[in-house]
Amino acid sequence: MFSYLIKRLFLFVPTLIVVSMLSFGLSRMAPSSQVVDYLQQDPFSIVSTPNELLIAEKKYKDAAKVLNLDKPAFYFTITSAAFPDTLYKILLPERKSVLEKLIAQYGNWPEIKAYYSAIRTLELQVLGLPDSLKGAAIDFKLNLRDLYKAHHDGTILAHFERMENAMAAQPKLEPSLSMGLMDLKNRFEKVKSHATTGKLKVPAFQWHGFNNQYHHWLTQFVKGNFGTSIARRRPVTDIVSPALLWTLVLNVSAILLAFLIAVPLGVWSAVKKGSRFDKNSSLVAFMLYSLPTFWVGTMLLVFFTTKEYGMDFFTGAWLGHLPEEASLWVKLKTMYPHLVLPIICITYPAVAFIARQARGSMSGVLKQEYIKTARAKGLPESKVIWKHGFRNALFPLITLVASVLPAAIAGSVTIEMIYNIPGLGWTMLQSINEQDWPIVFAIMMLGAVLTIAGILLSDILYALADPRVKFKRA
Amino acid sequence: MAKEEEHKVEAENAPRYLLWRRLQQKRLTRWSLRVLYVLIFLAVFGGGIANEKPLYCKIDGSSQFPVFHQIGLDLGLFPKSATFIQMDWKNETYDFVIFPPIPYSPKTTDIRNKYKGPFSKQNVKSLFYRHWLGTDRLGHDLLAGMIAGTRVAMLVGLISMSIAAAIGILLGALAGYFGDDRLSVNLTGLIINLIALFFAWFFSFKVRWYALSEAGNQGRLGGEFLKSLAMFIGILLLANVLVYFIKKWPLAKKQVALPLDLLIMRAIEVLNSIPGLLLLLALVAVFAKSSIIYVMVIIGFIRWPSIARFLRAELLRIRDLGYIEAGRALGFSDRRLLFKHALPNAIAPVLITIAFGMASAVLLESALSFLGIGVGEDGITWGRLLSDARDNHLAWWLAIFPGGAIFVTVTIFNLIGEGLTEALGAEGE
Repeated sequence: MFSYLIKRLFLFVPTLIVVSMLSFGLSRMAPSSQVVDYLQQDPFSIVSTPNELLIAEKKYKDAAKVLNLDKPAFYFTITSAAFPDTLYKILLPERKSVLEKLIAQYGNWPEIKAYYSAIRTLELQVLGLPDSLKGAAIDFKLNLRDLYKAHHDGTILAHFERMENAMAAQPKLEPSLSMGLMDLKNRFEKVKSHATTGKLKVPAFQWHGFNNQYHHWLTQFVKGNFGTSIARRRPVTDIVSPALLWTLVLNVSAILLAFLIAVPLGVWSAVKKGSRFDKNSSLVAFMLYSLPTFWVGTMLLVFFTTKEYGMDFFTGAWLGHLPEEASLWVKLKTMYPHLVLPIICITYPAVAFIARQARGSMSGVLKQEYIKTARAKGLPESKVIWKHGFRNALFPLITLVASVLPAAIAGSVTIEMIYNIPGLGWTMLQSINEQDWPIVFAIMMLGAVLTIAGILLSDILYALADPRVKFKRA
Repeated sequence: MAKEEEHKVEAENAPRYLLWRRLQQKRLTRWSLRVLYVLIFLAVFGGGIANEKPLYCKIDGSSQFPVFHQIGLDLGLFPKSATFIQMDWKNETYDFVIFPPIPYSPKTTDIRNKYKGPFSKQNVKSLFYRHWLGTDRLGHDLLAGMIAGTRVAMLVGLISMSIAAAIGILLGALAGYFGDDRLSVNLTGLIINLIALFFAWFFSFKVRWYALSEAGNQGRLGGEFLKSLAMFIGILLLANVLVYFIKKWPLAKKQVALPLDLLIMRAIEVLNSIPGLLLLLALVAVFAKSSIIYVMVIIGFIRWPSIARFLRAELLRIRDLGYIEAGRALGFSDRRLLFKHALPNAIAPVLITIAFGMASAVLLESALSFLGIGVGEDGITWGRLLSDARDNHLAWWLAIFPGGAIFVTVTIFNLIGEGLTEALGAEGE
């Protein structure tokens, strides 16, 4: 048994790793203004002295560290030899993309780096001007800042020219800035004259080691630390774990209920095969299965919670706020009137599905020879059905847990939205609207983990129930 | 005469007619197909059924066909004219006019009739202008909205299932027919091709990345992209010419089996282990630029596994049948056996998964637009119309009709799937 379990577990590891790469890759494609969103304002927009610039840079760096953005993305990069393996250290996405474009044009990283740091040196000089000159240097400063965003030869030269004009219009600036500007222009000329475009055509493999974003994200995920939320500035775990609790409460109780209703229903249909009860329940199950849960959810909410229709048997959607320090029991007690309708919505499609499977499984068993034998030796019908038939029909039903749980969790996204239950689906939608990507991908990954755990669980249950399995399938 | 009759009987007994006839035998399936025809009709001609512009009108002696003129404008056939766009069609005085049966476009606002139910008193000129299924908070006609939604639902089924079927049939057929050991390739050739693939990608896309992105910014991506693609194919071709000569060398004759089945089944396992709606939500949130077309394409890309699995199982069965063995003994190539002999026999059963897949695609898309993800401001879908019901519980018509349309569509696709299963099962006996 133990070795079978270990074997199954190891089969799932590669799947999990691929899933994790997929969701990490997706998270990298999400819009990249995360650090600024996290800081809630662009720290560079309010800089007016050299000291403030250093502070802003530090602020940005710290936020990038919190968000796990200050490392190379993956274990390795495949690129051309012109690109340095330290490019990830440029944290501002906009500047990084400009530098990449400059490299793609000229290929000479050392010169481009020198040009880039010359911009910064000059920026420090401009910021360090005495207050009396600052007003006069505004035009110069704006054009200098724009150099961070410019990668076309023409645009860059135009900015140089405008900076020169700004200096000419304000002769007081000339002594302090002309040297820096000269240097900057020389640097750019050098970038162009020393271009090594040949290097661009040589492929290069850069190994970054284990200190990378993916490795960090995955190891932290395994430890239960899902990163930091951008919009709420708190650990994702603190936000996701109560949400996971609600989703599990909702789905586990719905699935238990579904099994309790569906299994006897399916068994009875199989026993009375061909009867009116069988035909009707099959048709009803089919209809229920096609009913979209979000339609049923909306209809129940509209008709059964509104006074005007005279059928307000249930309390409506949850609109309140649960204090976080309240105990689980108190939370459940406040919430449960609001959970009745959602649980119905998640239960009925599962009932339809399980009843159908139970009927199929049971009618297969009832055809077996040993059932005939049991009847022939004069056992009462109830014993034949429940002891000899049902027990054997139960095995395949166990595996249904694996397929029902992920379907229920995905289905409960809409139900949580309709009834305002702060579960995983609700949190994910909220986070998509707030562009809070760490939460979105943590939940997606969590959904995959739950699904795989469900499959694993049903495998183990099956092997426990039917010892033949582990020899056949392992 | 007798001969003609014979031909007719023969034609009617051809497998596809047989399938068609068997499909028609069951009453539920017959009705489902009829409902489907109606839905397709509404999807195609919806613009002429619900529209605020007249189908035909005569103003000051000149004849106009405004609905068709609008179609022409949308297709870019006519120059845009301000007078046409700004025209107030409802209050125009006509010499003669034919309006569509529902004189409202899905976006026509009728401020005098907000949240009017189908049975409540409506503030309209005549019975012709009545909102038969009621209106929403801006006075949009619900029936017109639902007809516009029909087109989206049918397109979702068509586009996403076409993509899913294309991927699923190809991968399923490869996995099922070749399994893990039947596709053996020359090892040297494989290695050279893998290396060539890397260089092809590197030189045509990685090195040209800047040129491509600049071209994209200037809106002339097409040409540069074709250039890259040509380079890519060129490098691969060159490598294969090389392989052709190297293969003649005796040391390079080692063959290895490609575990296609394993690779494809693993990919399916990965896709299946992420709950569908969660994956779809994340993908749409990252990629979709608020257009329903993106949603359809993404649904297609995550819905292929069920088709691939089904086809794989079919081909696993078929490849061991006598006639395939016979074909192999005759020395037919694998390509010929797979595409001419094995696949045609497996395609009809795939229709079953496609029918069920359409149901789930329609359901997924409406769930998504119900959640308000992926549909732009102007997209009108059943899911979105349904979601308006939560704003006003008293507007019961907003809950019943759009949801009912989703239910009916999903059900008929499921019923057609069931009908197909039965029809094909009967054929097997």
